[in-house]
Amino acid sequence: MSLAVEMNGISKRFGTVQALDSVCLRVKRQSIHALVGENGAGKTTLMRVLYGALQPDFGTVALDGKPCRFRNSSEAIRAGVGMVSQHYSIIPQINCLDNLMLGAEPGFVLSRSSAKRRADELAARMGFEFDWEADAATLSPSGAQKLEILKLLWREARVMILDEPTAMLSPSDSDALYASLKQLTEQGATIIVVTHRLPEVLENCQQVTVLRGGRNVVSADVKDTNGPMLAEWIVGQSMHGAPDRRPPASDEIVLEAIGLSAKGDRGNLALKSVGFKVRKGEILGIAGVDGSGQRELFRALLGLVKPVQGKLLYRGRNLIPATVADRLRQGFRIIVEDRHEEGVIDDWPLIENAALGLHWLPQMTRKTAVCARYAFMRFALAVRHGKQAKQLAVPYLRQTGWIDFAARRREAQRIADRFDTRHGGLHQPMSSLSGGNQQRFVAGRALSNDPQLILAFQPSRGLDISASQKLYQTIREECGKGASAIVVSFDLDELMENCDRIVAMCNGRMAEPPKDKARDRNAIGRLMVGADA
Amino acid sequence: MMALAPRLQDVAKPLLRVAPVAAVAVGLIVGAFLFANVSPAVALSTLATSAFGTPQGFSKTLEETAPLLIAGIAVFVALKAGLFNIGVEGQLLVGAFAAALAGQHFRGSVGVLACLLAGMAAGLIWALPAGLIKALRNGHEVITTIMLNNIAVLTTQYLAGGPFKDPTSQSPRTVPIDASVAMPSFHVGSQLMVSPALVIGLALVVGISVWLFRTVAGYELRATGANPTAAKFAGVNAKTMIVYSMGASGAIGGLAGALQVLAFKGQFYDGFSPGYGFTGLGVALLAGNSPLGLLPSALLFGALAKGATSMQSLLGVPKGITYVVMGLLIVTYAVVRYRKAVAHD
Repeated sequence: MSLAVEMNGISKRFGTVQALDSVCLRVKRQSIHALVGENGAGKTTLMRVLYGALQPDFGTVALDGKPCRFRNSSEAIRAGVGMVSQHYSIIPQINCLDNLMLGAEPGFVLSRSSAKRRADELAARMGFEFDWEADAATLSPSGAQKLEILKLLWREARVMILDEPTAMLSPSDSDALYASLKQLTEQGATIIVVTHRLPEVLENCQQVTVLRGGRNVVSADVKDTNGPMLAEWIVGQSMHGAPDRRPPASDEIVLEAIGLSAKGDRGNLALKSVGFKVRKGEILGIAGVDGSGQRELFRALLGLVKPVQGKLLYRGRNLIPATVADRLRQGFRIIVEDRHEEGVIDDWPLIENAALGLHWLPQMTRKTAVCARYAFMRFALAVRHGKQAKQLAVPYLRQTGWIDFAARRREAQRIADRFDTRHGGLHQPMSSLSGGNQQRFVAGRALSNDPQLILAFQPSRGLDISASQKLYQTIREECGKGASAIVVSFDLDELMENCDRIVAMCNGRMAEPPKDKARDRNAIGRLMVGADA
Repeated sequence: MMALAPRLQDVAKPLLRVAPVAAVAVGLIVGAFLFANVSPAVALSTLATSAFGTPQGFSKTLEETAPLLIAGIAVFVALKAGLFNIGVEGQLLVGAFAAALAGQHFRGSVGVLACLLAGMAAGLIWALPAGLIKALRNGHEVITTIMLNNIAVLTTQYLAGGPFKDPTSQSPRTVPIDASVAMPSFHVGSQLMVSPALVIGLALVVGISVWLFRTVAGYELRATGANPTAAKFAGVNAKTMIVYSMGASGAIGGLAGALQVLAFKGQFYDGFSPGYGFTGLGVALLAGNSPLGLLPSALLFGALAKGATSMQSLLGVPKGITYVVMGLLIVTYAVVRYRKAVAHD
């Protein structure tokens, strides 16, 4: 038997949704097997069944030809199955060695020195280097990913499942990751990678299984396939990749940053004298590896962080004193980086999540004219802004503090429909949606209600190809209507494909490639790593 | 009909899951009574008939319910903003003391209003440090409110026995309030007595529900409680929300104390509260997510308090046993909730 994993006829139903419908998966020993499919295709569900975190309604699982039935993930771990989920399970407050051992400590009395020896051995085997005593909080995303892989090795996993392993990694880190995965297979491991990135599949994997709508579409050797074939299997139709051409952006400058500096979470200067302009109708792409200051830039633009230095002008007006709520009211919209932490409230129903960030917009509150409130706001704004008060007070006109439930329901429906969020009803909690569907919802919300400046941080994270294309198309449409957008992505190709202009960030500084090299992949790449500095 | 089937299943499953927990709880409660040397059946029937069986008994139950309900609302408001206000007891005490003082100097309906406002202001001031420390320095509200509780208990004790002591009294108590600011219970029907404090409590429950679930401010407050980071990204000023909700919680706690003085006690004395603020924590926890849940929850605790007195006099069951039962109820509920949360994961 050369099959490491054999899953037959796996079915799983959640309420009214058939997540998996007699799915089969056969993974050859010592290979890298890619599992691809759209959001909600059932990839993660299938892997959770293999990992013992979910029990299938029907179907069998066999490891190395031996049938097994895991009641929970610890049984799966004991049988040699390990999984790294999309969200790393590393505890930042404790050190790397403790993270490595957590849940699989060698014996009742810990010998840290012998544990450390074994940890060093494992790391050396993979060519990794770790400061075991350092807090895990100091790890970069790729360092965290490496630690997760070592955790699997520590538990002596023979079958390793990696869910979207490169979602947070820069291109060079992704390459390095696949190199170490290859090395692992040579040492006897079998690896299943769940991913959306087809180039990775074509380049690094041996077999591929495609799921669509909870069913098998195809399983094939990667060498027998190509990109368009895979894309068609995934979405079930031929893809038309060419983005529509838009007229060039106007000369009107919407947002201008001059010498903007801001501090990061740890008090370090993470944004160093950054200057740029965004024109009306323009999509500005910000390239760079994770942690180059993109996060702090977005927080400063949204008003969550007060810049320590520099100017920020929105339509010629100083933006610095404006609060987050002021900016949202003026049409700022953000697609957040970490939707669980920053974008949604998991326990709340979709309908309540739909209003988050839009809840003060006049169209979301009851339209009773309250003159006293308007007069008060006029007065308050006059004190703060002088002559501009009349214009600024317009949004307060007729606005009340009472929620307009009908408007909220309509809005939730519109947001869900915009990117085909698959949900079991608007009153279901957010947590009942799959990750990709949550991202669709968050993106739909950010692009609703007349956005003026769209701040998108890795907007396609967790989205499949067609949803991601639709998202960028919608951003282009909004920009055609007069909005502007700033897109941060760690995937340079994604930016090259979708943005009008690309700048690069490296170590808190921003650089723009010269005019004649504006679309030169290598030139931008050099700026991203600071090679030209 | 098709749509009904899965729903029934959804209801039945959690019930089945809860069953063993409930069985253990019932066992423990029965055991507690056996330990006190009474038949559990007799104990429970005495509890029920004394609390609900007669109009007089029910009136007494409602009297016990009123402060628990309002204290429960106070805890609930903070809980919705993600704050665990252990300090309602202290806020209630300073509120009661302030109202007892105001009641000596003001007269008539204006006086009533002045007393209630004095109580609310005192509670607000007592809660504010905890809110500010949480918002500005991220000091944990549980620690600060426990400390403030101790200060409140000891300070009011000292004041009632020292500078503000009724000179005609042997024990540490303040001069009684003027009769014109008292809020006596009124008759509903021939025998049932209802206190204005309870009416105000009911109105507060409705008001708080409307505020939390129908206004944008309430939405922001709940968002802060559910996920402060997401709330910040949505333009909510989480710090302000924390201070507001803590202040509102304290004011309501103070109101509970003021009403207790005006409606029932007529003065402040050492040992004024048998732990209303702490029982209020249980009331709010048992209420679950909805403010309307506060009503049955407060009534249950009120009935237990009334029943405890009767069981002590009629059966000789120590009052402590009833508090054991109360504790078991909360623990059982916590277990059920905890299991739900795990099942969700």
